[in-house]
Amino acid sequence: MSDSFTISDEQRDYSTFGLSGNPFPYSPVPDDEPLVYCGQEDVTDRISETVSSVLSTGKSKHLVVTGKYGNGKSHTLKYTRSLVRDREDVLVGYVAQPGDGFLDIYHEFVYDIGFDRMQELSYEFLAEVARTETDRNPMGASSMKSLIDDGEVLLSDLVPTAVQRLSDVTKFADFARAIVHLIYEDTNLYAWQWLTAEGLRYEQRKEMEIHSAIDDDTSAVRAFTALKNMLLELGYTGVFMFVDEFERIAQLSPKDEQATLNSIRHLMDQNGNGLCILFGCAPEVWQDVMSEYHAFSERIGQEVALQPLTEEKVHTLVEGYLNLVRENGSEGIEPFTEEGLQVVLQRSQGNIRQILSICSRVLDDAVDDHHSGQIGEELVIGTLEEM
Amino acid sequence: MLFRQQALETPHGDLQTPVLFPVSNIGKRSSDNTPEYTESVPDLSTAMVNARAIRNRDPQWERFEDGTPLREEMGVSEDTVVFADSGGFDFQDETVDTTPAKTLETQQQIDADIYGTVDVPLSRDNRQAENQRRISESIDLALEASRRHNGDEVLLGSVHGYDPETVRNSIQHLEREGDFDGYAIGSLVPIRTDYEKVTKIILAARRATDKHLHVYGLGGLTYQPLLLYLGVDSFDSSAFIRSAGNRNYLIPGFGGEPLKNVEELSHLPCACPVCSTRTFKAVRNDRDLLVQHNVWALALELRRFRYMAAADEDLEAYLDLRFAGNEVTKRAYRLAKQQVRRLT
Repeated sequence: MSDSFTISDEQRDYSTFGLSGNPFPYSPVPDDEPLVYCGQEDVTDRISETVSSVLSTGKSKHLVVTGKYGNGKSHTLKYTRSLVRDREDVLVGYVAQPGDGFLDIYHEFVYDIGFDRMQELSYEFLAEVARTETDRNPMGASSMKSLIDDGEVLLSDLVPTAVQRLSDVTKFADFARAIVHLIYEDTNLYAWQWLTAEGLRYEQRKEMEIHSAIDDDTSAVRAFTALKNMLLELGYTGVFMFVDEFERIAQLSPKDEQATLNSIRHLMDQNGNGLCILFGCAPEVWQDVMSEYHAFSERIGQEVALQPLTEEKVHTLVEGYLNLVRENGSEGIEPFTEEGLQVVLQRSQGNIRQILSICSRVLDDAVDDHHSGQIGEELVIGTLEEM
Repeated sequence: MLFRQQALETPHGDLQTPVLFPVSNIGKRSSDNTPEYTESVPDLSTAMVNARAIRNRDPQWERFEDGTPLREEMGVSEDTVVFADSGGFDFQDETVDTTPAKTLETQQQIDADIYGTVDVPLSRDNRQAENQRRISESIDLALEASRRHNGDEVLLGSVHGYDPETVRNSIQHLEREGDFDGYAIGSLVPIRTDYEKVTKIILAARRATDKHLHVYGLGGLTYQPLLLYLGVDSFDSSAFIRSAGNRNYLIPGFGGEPLKNVEELSHLPCACPVCSTRTFKAVRNDRDLLVQHNVWALALELRRFRYMAAADEDLEAYLDLRFAGNEVTKRAYRLAKQQVRRLT
């Protein structure tokens, strides 16, 4: 039997450095809710301007964030999403990558919103109908649900009106029926499957009187637009869609790539109000899109590029992470020294992903070697040579 | 386990539930098909009649107006507890031709003990909007009946719906806006083969109210144990008449067997007064005897369940055995059991 493994659940002790743990991720994938964001001013300004513009005017606006791998596109999109998501007057969805076309983008978007949130929207729409059709005044999903559970309003009175009104608003009767069926325990999973474009058997669709399917880019654009129009009817300011790794469309066949871009263009054309799409894309692919698909790129108009971090930004980034786990009141970049971070910057060439990865490894090595004091140039170089 | 035993106070005495109401065809043209069972089956002094059919059969209605008692006309004992529904099942294809006031008047005239409110049944063939309209109409009619009714008779609000939310919401609404002694769930006959749906709807109703719960039309052999298990207080059935019309012999635990499938046999397996003293051929050749046996079959099924409960036997284990022989009902019971266990 081999005893070459030494697997242990013993935790490292970072107290020597005044830290409760290693704040840097081992695998630098951005959290869904990033706590630290080291913004580049022109990028944050452009994003803020785009988002604020949609929020203040209700008019649609879109932006592409470009940057080389590891320069923080996903981090930027996720951080922006976490800021926007706190607002109650918008619906926010994140799409990790565009897949094979707009149908996949739509699917991921609805999935990110989630069943519970979509069901809430269904109750919100019923509340809207109840406010006009009855003498009750439910102000949200939960109060609407209570009115139904307590029998204060009659479901059979509300539902036909809700389906009709939602059909009028969305111009998509099947979508209206699916949304309303989200409140029924017998059919809510079918309705959810239909809304996420997962496909349903004929009998399942029949149960809800739904005749069509969301099974191509065109129907997905129609469903997305229906959702957005429903939200505007409910008083929402708009929908924010974050599409990451947009460069993957370059892996599609030219025909599929064009179809995807056309679908997004149609989506933008059909939604002059209440829609904000933020794309994360590798610069070289975006350049190709700009040069080959004018109709699409012209509708986005804006591009902002993430640059490698400067020395000052590296300091801010490392400090931000260390502050998450400080125990002894120290500040700045301690236990890292200026020289140590200089080496990190040189080796990473300002790439955020590599900076975080190196810092994480260096800190662990320092603990393993029972190093005390500061983490300087030698220690960083030593670790880098082992990496 | 939601099975429960209660006493329902009616003008003709306290009724021990759960109980079956055999459907009487009085008022319909085939009224002679209902056998005189209330004397021969002592724990079945109950009957379900159709108020609309009685009202619409002029010569008979005139006799009632002249003072002939319903029970005498039916040939049942004076203490028979009669449930008069509105005859709503006939409105599946026809428009409603009665009112809550007229139906209440009929129910009072025939001296019924339990009143079902006027209702408009659903159909899976209807568009959903039409079914929703019918649900709302039934609720409006029930509320009007509630406002008009102030007697000692038991008033059950008729409720329809093809999903648990609608049924729960409808009962809660009637509970809030009206005054009912219980509720009766309708429209389940057309979907009776969808056991999962029917079970969910009944459970939703049971959860929504602690009052008396009746299920229209599902009191046949297959459903009876399920309904008891789900805590239903009463149910009605015309299966004994319809089955006999098709020469089907009801056997508790197995369902109905067409007697044409049976060739050589001296006696039938049942120990009821009909079968125990007569030959197979005598029963097979006499439709009235077959109807009487089928009533006994329904009564025996109910008796057996009551016995198991009284003997403190494990009712779930009993039902496991009861449904073991039929894959469809076995699956239905398994589904019901899962749903009940989630509730308890």
